[in-house]
Amino acid sequence: MKKLITGNEAIAYGALAAGIKVACGYPGTPSTGAIASLLTMDLPNTHVEWSTNEKVAFDLASGVAWAGHRVLCTMKMSGVNVAYDSIISTAYSGCDGGFVIYVADDPGTNAGMCEQDSRGFALMSDMPMLEPASIEEAISLTTYAFELSEAIKGPVFVRLTTPLANGFASVEIPEPAPVSQADALLIHDINRFTKAGAVICMTQHRDLIKRLAHAGELIEQKGLNRLDLGKKKGGLGIVASGVTVQYIEEALAVADKYGIDREKISVLGLRASIPTPKQQLSQLIDFCDKILVLEELEPHIERDVYILARKRGYAGQIIGKIDGTFDRVGEYGTKHVLIGLNKALSLNIPESEYKSDTTAEELAAARPITVCSGCPHRGTYMAINRAIRKLKLKKQDVIVNGDIGCTILGMNPPFNTVWNEISMGASIGLAQGFAYAGVKTPVLATIGDSTFFHGGIPSLINAIQHEANIVLIIMDNEWTAMTGMQINPGTPCDRHEKPYKHVDIARIVPALGVEHFWQINPFDQDHATDVIAEAMQLPGVKVILSRQECAIQAFRKGSKEGKKKIVRVVEENCNLCKLCISVTGCSALVPGEKVMTIDPALCRQCGMCVSVCNRNAMVMEDVK
Amino acid sequence: MNLNIYLVGVGGQGILTIGEILSSAAMEKDLPVFFYPSKGMAQRGGFVKAQLQIGKKNVGPNIIEKGSDIVFAMETSEALKAVRFAKPGGTFLLLANFWAPTDVILGKASYPELDKVIGEIQKSGAKLVLISDKDLPEYEGKKVADNIFMLGAAMKHSVLNKLFDSADIDRIVQNRWKRASASNHFAFQAGMDYQPQLIAGE
Ligand SMILES: Cc1ncc(C[n+]2csc(CCOP(=O)(O)OP(=O)(O)O)c2C)c(N)n1
Ligand code: SF4
Ligand code: SF4
Repeated sequence: MKKLITGNEAIAYGALAAGIKVACGYPGTPSTGAIASLLTMDLPNTHVEWSTNEKVAFDLASGVAWAGHRVLCTMKMSGVNVAYDSIISTAYSGCDGGFVIYVADDPGTNAGMCEQDSRGFALMSDMPMLEPASIEEAISLTTYAFELSEAIKGPVFVRLTTPLANGFASVEIPEPAPVSQADALLIHDINRFTKAGAVICMTQHRDLIKRLAHAGELIEQKGLNRLDLGKKKGGLGIVASGVTVQYIEEALAVADKYGIDREKISVLGLRASIPTPKQQLSQLIDFCDKILVLEELEPHIERDVYILARKRGYAGQIIGKIDGTFDRVGEYGTKHVLIGLNKALSLNIPESEYKSDTTAEELAAARPITVCSGCPHRGTYMAINRAIRKLKLKKQDVIVNGDIGCTILGMNPPFNTVWNEISMGASIGLAQGFAYAGVKTPVLATIGDSTFFHGGIPSLINAIQHEANIVLIIMDNEWTAMTGMQINPGTPCDRHEKPYKHVDIARIVPALGVEHFWQINPFDQDHATDVIAEAMQLPGVKVILSRQECAIQAFRKGSKEGKKKIVRVVEENCNLCKLCISVTGCSALVPGEKVMTIDPALCRQCGMCVSVCNRNAMVMEDVK
Repeated sequence: MNLNIYLVGVGGQGILTIGEILSSAAMEKDLPVFFYPSKGMAQRGGFVKAQLQIGKKNVGPNIIEKGSDIVFAMETSEALKAVRFAKPGGTFLLLANFWAPTDVILGKASYPELDKVIGEIQKSGAKLVLISDKDLPEYEGKKVADNIFMLGAAMKHSVLNKLFDSADIDRIVQNRWKRASASNHFAFQAGMDYQPQLIAGE
């Protein structure tokens, strides 16, 4: 059957075709779609879950693989940072069941966060990394990755980048393989499964290095990396990996117009970037006079080309990042191939074939992202801003440390509330640091519910133990929202059909021993402001749980139940001062000719504009 | 026949839906499709773009500059971001909606004049088909879906009709939302019959 699917779904189908027993991960753009699609399927023999964070997911997956079963573990590139302590350790130990880690990188940062190249992690832990060049290959290579993992007895990475992870193609969907019902292995072997002792560790390290070399041999036998030597010797050799391979043909078609000699072009298209195929690279180096390396982000393959070139006495040009032709920042396209061809072959392809004229783009209006209409976070930012004013403090004197998720959007106008962002859970430690550094004014931190579960809890425990003077506001919208509404431990049971136990933040925080703990409704502005202001004046750790469901999810639920309230503009009271817009920035507020109007399709009846208006021009009414 | 299509707008306008409908149409004809939507995060109201390539088996997801046969732009300012991807001789459909960012509403930031945007589009060498948001007809007292209307106009004024039958697109549109099938059929036909405000560069 042919279907239009994303690369993320392709990973899921490829894993099902390998008969996975378990799939787990933590959401993160652009990797989210893999587990998300598995969760919508009826898979009686496969356990699928969103775990609390990537390390938890990875540890769970190691257990499955050590017990001899097949497991898929997924994460975005930032997640590899979180899981890495375990990843390298499991790589040392190896595994019996097929273990595939799917990681999605984001060159060009479509989704924010560091533009890191996860291949670096695979290199550091001597793990093979496969890089499909198309959505079709994402299926077949994922299935193969399980075979490879079992053959070398170690975990294997599969890496996609954003365009393949989130892009759609029409491809043939494979049949799922039956899930093994074999008994779980219980191998009691401390030499393999512990790290206690130098001998144990160094033996494991040697085994690990051998496993990667073995993977290289198997990948070569399988013919994953394709070398097409030109008809004539002494031309240009192009090395590319993953999706970048797809831009070569298009660029060559352009170069045809400028007299390129196709017989002098050789191409090595990699589907396994780690280990780099030394054999094929050597062949290419020996055959060609010039080498062009096309790889996004870090020049990993290129470095190996330099090493091999040196070993083989190659004196020709190597075009890539190290000679300064390409940047280590951003994603590649046909343009990059053309620039490389031009440089290597002096083709005189005019710049106009590939150079951007961005004059039109520069005229476009800036459109900073902000929270949705009706978003509960809006109420929390407004209450923080009001509390600062209430205490007669200046905004530039009160630092609000931010965290990952929709909760960071308070950094933008009109709120300008949140100051910074590091990584999941970091806001709490940051706040503690600012307090120790001697900041005299109250130090605040904000964090979302999923982020609190992911990485915030250890930091809160630290702040409690050391009695740090901080105010923590947990912005609990009951979902992992920014990544597209995933369930987390705090999502109430009546909001999904899964048999999960609810873990309530309102019970965790007092149980940790926090004495100053409040719960607020961010839409109750007066109470929320009072509580935040009070907390800002007390010593020690203060925690405020600001709870209200994400507006998108609440609307989905509400639209089933029918609207109960409506917000109306009292026209005779409105003088179009636009105060409501300048404080809330809500997109449902649209200035009319003489008075403000409300877009009924966008208004979620949160009442924030009502609370802001000082002319009683906005009223919330019951629907009769 | 290969077709490269570039779509831009603001989240919530239904710009991705146009790409999805055309992807389904291509799949029905067993043509290779690569559809790459890039929307930001969960929030509505941010810049959204999508790239659709039909007819080529192995393609890079990003369309080369000056490489789009058809551009659909559903927001006036955001249209500027597609200009460099329009192919000289291709078709650039602009639905002149204005979704002003908050700072523009408050008079703190500027928003490009429509004439300026039109001028930039014309410089690309593509044929401009300008659709005024005021021209959208009503069906049973409600404005029709602007994206479906625009798709109808594209069927009439671009090379889309060389690849697809309007009857097929109309059927896919109707089947997609059963409850709105009559109004969407109407929107699509009205788009086909629409006399654009401006067709420039032919
Ligand atoms: C280590 C790591 N994993 C995953 C992500 C992706 N990510 C970005 S925002 C977000 C959701 C945060 O959810 P929550 O804290 O509940 O805030 P919300 O978006 O719901 O307001 C996730 C998982 C990330 N940035 N870093
Ligand atoms: S997705 Fe939910 S939490 Fe995120 S901005 Fe929108 S309403 Fe707020
Ligand atoms: S218009 Fe007012 S009540 Fe409606 S969503 Fe916006 S701020 Fe809330």
